Amino acid sequence: MVRMLSSSRRSPGVRVVIDTRLSHDIFDATSEFARFAQGLTDEGGLVSFVGVARPKTKDGADVESLFLDHHPRLTERSLEEIGQAAAEKFKLDKLAIVHRCGAIAPGEAIVFVAAASRHRRAAFEAADYMMDRLKTDAVFWKREDAAGGSRWIDPTAADRAERARWSE
Amino acid sequence: MNGADVKVFFFGKLGEAVGRMVEIEDTEAVTIADLRKFLADQYPHAARELENQSLRACVNDTIVGETCQINGADVEFFPPLSGG
Repeated sequence: MVRMLSSSRRSPGVRVVIDTRLSHDIFDATSEFARFAQGLTDEGGLVSFVGVARPKTKDGADVESLFLDHHPRLTERSLEEIGQAAAEKFKLDKLAIVHRCGAIAPGEAIVFVAAASRHRRAAFEAADYMMDRLKTDAVFWKREDAAGGSRWIDPTAADRAERARWSE
Repeated sequence: MNGADVKVFFFGKLGEAVGRMVEIEDTEAVTIADLRKFLADQYPHAARELENQSLRACVNDTIVGETCQINGADVEFFPPLSGG
């Protein structure tokens, strides 16, 4: 979903483009970045991050597949909410979030985030912020299917600590 | 007095253990806490997860507390989220 929002913290008439998407199929992060960069004019900093499905579990077993369960309404809503919060917090000109659901093979992209801003710092921080929030606040449930069996993955203490860094 | 019919949806680990949706007919469960107890009795293999307070209940797309009255609404149970 693409939203053009007026932000209350901006000058009247200045808009931010928030593009969030739940992808049921494989996506190409390079194409996503190219699409994201189209039409930008005044921005001095573009930052993107791609999260990729790992080939090994934390115990070293081969991962056959990752499965991301999702909610029919609240998953997309959570992506939009995280995008809007990032746009507000870092006064971005444009941002994108693409997040996979369903079965994901090792090496495939799980998530793509991008942020464009007048200056680099805000773009870096926004990408970091979006990823920390996606780990703990996006409405997904992740299962790792490996040779030795399947395991549902809870957010770790480290994930929660990373998220807590951004608490106001 | 007859109880209401309630649809209960499960996600993540519980979606696998119990099923995506169960429809409970004529339930006496008034609150979320009552419903948890009923479900834990019905699905003993998943009782530990069902009674764990990290499993949050959601009614009308909003997270609710244990004393929330169901009143025939659909109830969804969310294990801890793990995206990214």
